[in-house]
Amino acid sequence: MRKARKWSSLVLVFALVFLAACGGNSNSSGGKSDSGGSSSGSGSQSGNQGQSAPSGDKVTISFWGLDDQMVYLDPIIKEFQQENPNITVEVSTFNTDPIKESLKVAASSRTLPDIWFNWGGSFASFYSKNGLAMDLTQVAADHSWESVYNPAALELAKYEGKIYMVPFHLASLGVFVKKDLYDGYGFQAPATLAELESHMARMAEDGITPLPVGGKGGWMLMRWTEQLIEHFAGPELHDQLNALEASWTDPAVVSALAKLKEWNDKGWFTKGFITMAPEEAEMYMYSEGGYALEGTWFDQTLSSNGYDPNNYLFFKFPNEQGAARMSSFLEGFQISAETTPEKQEAAVKLAEYITSPDVVNKYINDYGAPALSDFASTEAAPHVKLMAEEVSAGNFLITDQALPQEVVDKLFEVTDAVILNALTPEQAAAEMQKAADQYKANNP
Amino acid sequence: MRLRANITPWLFLFPALFIYLAVIVFPSLYSLFLSFFDWNGVSADRKFVGLQNYINLITQDSVFQTALKNNLIWLAGNMTIMIGLGLVFALILNRQLKGRVFFRSVFYYPYVLSGIVVAIVWSWMYHPSKGFVTFFLEKIGLEEWAAPWLSDPKTALYAIFIAAVWQGAGLPMVLFLAGLQTIPRDPYEAAIIDGANPFQTFRYITLPLLRDTFVIVFATTMVGAMKVYDIIYGMTAGGPANSTQVLSSWMYYQTFKYNYIGIGSAISWYLIFICMVVIVPYVIFISRRSYP
Repeated sequence: MRKARKWSSLVLVFALVFLAACGGNSNSSGGKSDSGGSSSGSGSQSGNQGQSAPSGDKVTISFWGLDDQMVYLDPIIKEFQQENPNITVEVSTFNTDPIKESLKVAASSRTLPDIWFNWGGSFASFYSKNGLAMDLTQVAADHSWESVYNPAALELAKYEGKIYMVPFHLASLGVFVKKDLYDGYGFQAPATLAELESHMARMAEDGITPLPVGGKGGWMLMRWTEQLIEHFAGPELHDQLNALEASWTDPAVVSALAKLKEWNDKGWFTKGFITMAPEEAEMYMYSEGGYALEGTWFDQTLSSNGYDPNNYLFFKFPNEQGAARMSSFLEGFQISAETTPEKQEAAVKLAEYITSPDVVNKYINDYGAPALSDFASTEAAPHVKLMAEEVSAGNFLITDQALPQEVVDKLFEVTDAVILNALTPEQAAAEMQKAADQYKANNP
Repeated sequence: MRLRANITPWLFLFPALFIYLAVIVFPSLYSLFLSFFDWNGVSADRKFVGLQNYINLITQDSVFQTALKNNLIWLAGNMTIMIGLGLVFALILNRQLKGRVFFRSVFYYPYVLSGIVVAIVWSWMYHPSKGFVTFFLEKIGLEEWAAPWLSDPKTALYAIFIAAVWQGAGLPMVLFLAGLQTIPRDPYEAAIIDGANPFQTFRYITLPLLRDTFVIVFATTMVGAMKVYDIIYGMTAGGPANSTQVLSSWMYYQTFKYNYIGIGSAISWYLIFICMVVIVPYVIFISRRSYP
């Protein structure tokens, strides 16, 4: 009997230990590694970017970032820790989709890191809307962010008028084409859509696919769709459509979808492009020609594939709406609303350090497109600064961040269906409106 | 003393049972619980909607309906073509053929590859202008058959399925080979003496004695068919126009992209329900007729 009791006690202890191990702590600052992620941590030092120092106590913050940014973020974070000996940053890195999933899982179990990388728009707003991301509006005012960051970036960092992200990258999209191809034809950057179409027709006559688009996943075709919507709808209506405040059955949307269909019927897209991988389409564009609607990252993409970005021409899509607005999106850092004030302060300090002009300029060759008002230009990325200047003239949030995700996927579905003749542009527009209504009904 | 005898086996069982309950049973039941709610995963406001998520999926969600149909097509293809091919390969390679070990490896090898790798390889093969399939069809004078298979909603799922069969037939083959090698020679020798032809031998000796193997093959193939995701994601990402969506991918979209935890959970329970409806009666039926 005594032995049985002893066994029972052992079992009870085992169960308690197991339960304790399974339990979470929303304020945990330990480094985490989820599926698709890896983690590391290191200790460190002092100094800051001109803001008030955190309290003398040591503080450890957890940071979730993207794998492919660690080339420059690793040394930046190490330098930050050397300058801030009281702050230790425990870094976990993820690929693109795993970080989105891991953040959602962490949000539902209240185990978000203290600071995390995120895309703007509907990706970031999930955390802002649900009270998981820190409201940075006061910090932005106190630290004069308006004199540091590009105004377009600060605008994109807002949700319902408040700032919830520290701007990191401001990506804007424009049309790229091979210079020698354009020079050979004697073309200039087109001022109108008709002119662009005449160039495309000329290329098609010579057997060059004018629109080497990879339709798999939907987003590459979406870049052309949204520019056509901007062209036909104009800025005001386009913004209202993205905010689901105007009807998607508007004739402007129908015209945009009809134009896509017309281009497909003329054979301007690659045969079977609907399920072609975007990377495959890009390879065609690098080597043989055609247009690409790409962003500020494109210089680096070209370089990493062995092509010189200086051999490519960039211009804004001729949407004939005054100062043409560029499609753009923000990448930034969100800070947990649920962590301690000390950790929030340290996290803000880290984000400001990573995005500070001195640090950005030091790592500009790898950094991508900073969200700063001003930064150094580099020969390795000749279009980045130019695009940053152009985006200041006007921008709209890229569609797959502006619309709720289920409406975005419906847009991908109906554009495919229009191309495949499964829906008319009118039917496709009606389907979009149905999806918008459904979303609004589900999220009153 | 008797109490101790009763408790002791349970004590040995407890660690594994506890882990099983904690990481399999409890999360599964919790997802069933969540499937009755309208919830975004983080909000304090979790609204009970009863069976509404299940009803809406069936009656209002056209992508779910496509995904369900695709899963059933995939399931039927797996249960017939995939298993059939696996059995044929196993029967051939169970004979005393020259190079049979080499061919066993060749047929099994694609199964070792990840679904994404297979997807990339077959996407290139299907490339509408530069792919091997197009090239081959043109060479044999069937250029009118050369089409962008993956870009046509009517053919996309079947084109992916061919790639999946190429990858997956090795697993049932190996399982059947293992089963075939447990069958003693005696019944075959008796059949030869009795004058049975090869088909009769297969029908009345091989098939009945493979019954236990069939249970394993059917169960694993079916679960694999219902969970299919990576190869479809890699080849078409569910397109064109959502025509190749399957339940696993739609569950992922609803849960992680759209934050509809209740709907995602309901889809997972549809998956479980379909598996149970087929597997449980089949296993019971086979087990009753199984040889001791």
